[in-house]
Amino acid sequence: MITRLANYLDNLKNCLRLSSEAKKDMLREFYAHLEDRSQELQESGFSEEEAAEMAVKHFGPVKSIAQQTYEIYSSGTWRQAFFAALPHLIISLLFALRAWQNIIWLIIVLLMVIGVVIYGWWHGKPVWLFPWLGYYLIPVIVTGVLLIYLPSNWFLFAALIYLPLALFVLVSVTKQTITQDWLYASVMLLPVPIILGWTLALSLSRDFLSIHRQIQEMASWVALSFLILAVTVATFIRVKQRWLKVSALLAPSLVVLILVAIVSKGTINFWLWLGLASLSIFLILSPAWLERKITNS
Amino acid sequence: MNYERELLKGNTDALLLCLISHTPMYGYQIIKEIERRSKGYFQFKEGTLYPALHRLERAGLVRGEWQTLPNSQERRYYFITEKGKQVLAERLSIWQDFSTAVNAIIQPIST
Repeated sequence: MITRLANYLDNLKNCLRLSSEAKKDMLREFYAHLEDRSQELQESGFSEEEAAEMAVKHFGPVKSIAQQTYEIYSSGTWRQAFFAALPHLIISLLFALRAWQNIIWLIIVLLMVIGVVIYGWWHGKPVWLFPWLGYYLIPVIVTGVLLIYLPSNWFLFAALIYLPLALFVLVSVTKQTITQDWLYASVMLLPVPIILGWTLALSLSRDFLSIHRQIQEMASWVALSFLILAVTVATFIRVKQRWLKVSALLAPSLVVLILVAIVSKGTINFWLWLGLASLSIFLILSPAWLERKITNS
Repeated sequence: MNYERELLKGNTDALLLCLISHTPMYGYQIIKEIERRSKGYFQFKEGTLYPALHRLERAGLVRGEWQTLPNSQERRYYFITEKGKQVLAERLSIWQDFSTAVNAIIQPIST
């Protein structure tokens, strides 16, 4: 293939935000078109390089084509929106129906998450997979919060081991998910600060009986926060424009964190809330930076 | 120029459906056919054709299928669907009524 055409198709490949299968199909179609145009120009007397240059010029700017293609595929169906919102809806129901303490329900949910993630991962990572994938990170968060219960001399030692490991897991999973679009990694990371917020609100009390009573009291609010997350994810799937998708993730997560702070009755003070809000913004936007870094390297 | 672009934008779906309804075609063939029939009147970046075709496919108005040409090259042919035929018939009917009404207004009144 002529270098000019190869470079052009490489640029398109980097700019197209589609599933790997759809992207492959689209690029194959673009290549066929460029090949036809280039061949026709060569037959009319142009050199191979000139023909390639003109074919690319006729085809149009990469960013414009990628943008138009994105707007066609960016809006998911209602079915995809429902499947994407489902993990948050399930967690919401667990708390709304006070089923969070029923071990059978918890095992069913856990098996469901594992099953769905394995199925989605091996079926081309569809858009609805990413919110489910986020729940794979819960053990990492919970482990971090449990460090609080360690004796103070062990805490520092454990934190030194935990932090790089947690960061490694977080970055590895995020890197795997941003190959298609960094926004999918943002959707995956969306519940992390909220789960962290609720866990902190509860875990700052060291009495187990008190924690149990607090969960009972907060259950409806926890259910509401996950219901908001479900609506957020469904909106994210349905809207077309990229800036709307980013806004759909940012605004509700900050609102939910305000809710967590209010319900925690002072356990989450302003500074802790600010930390969680900053973490939320960082987790939603940092995949963009990571994607750029990966593309450039 | 903007007016022409807007007119073309508003009628892209009908034009594409109309071309494909006669015979299934692949992208480059569609471009050549548009050039030939419009005698070069419609000028646009060729790459923008594909988002339009894929939009029609997502709406269920056309169906894309890879086929091998006699020279063993593969091309993605677009076929009009039953839904596409219905939409095309509706659009053509609206276009006929619209152009008749516009012509009736812009023609000088004969006394």
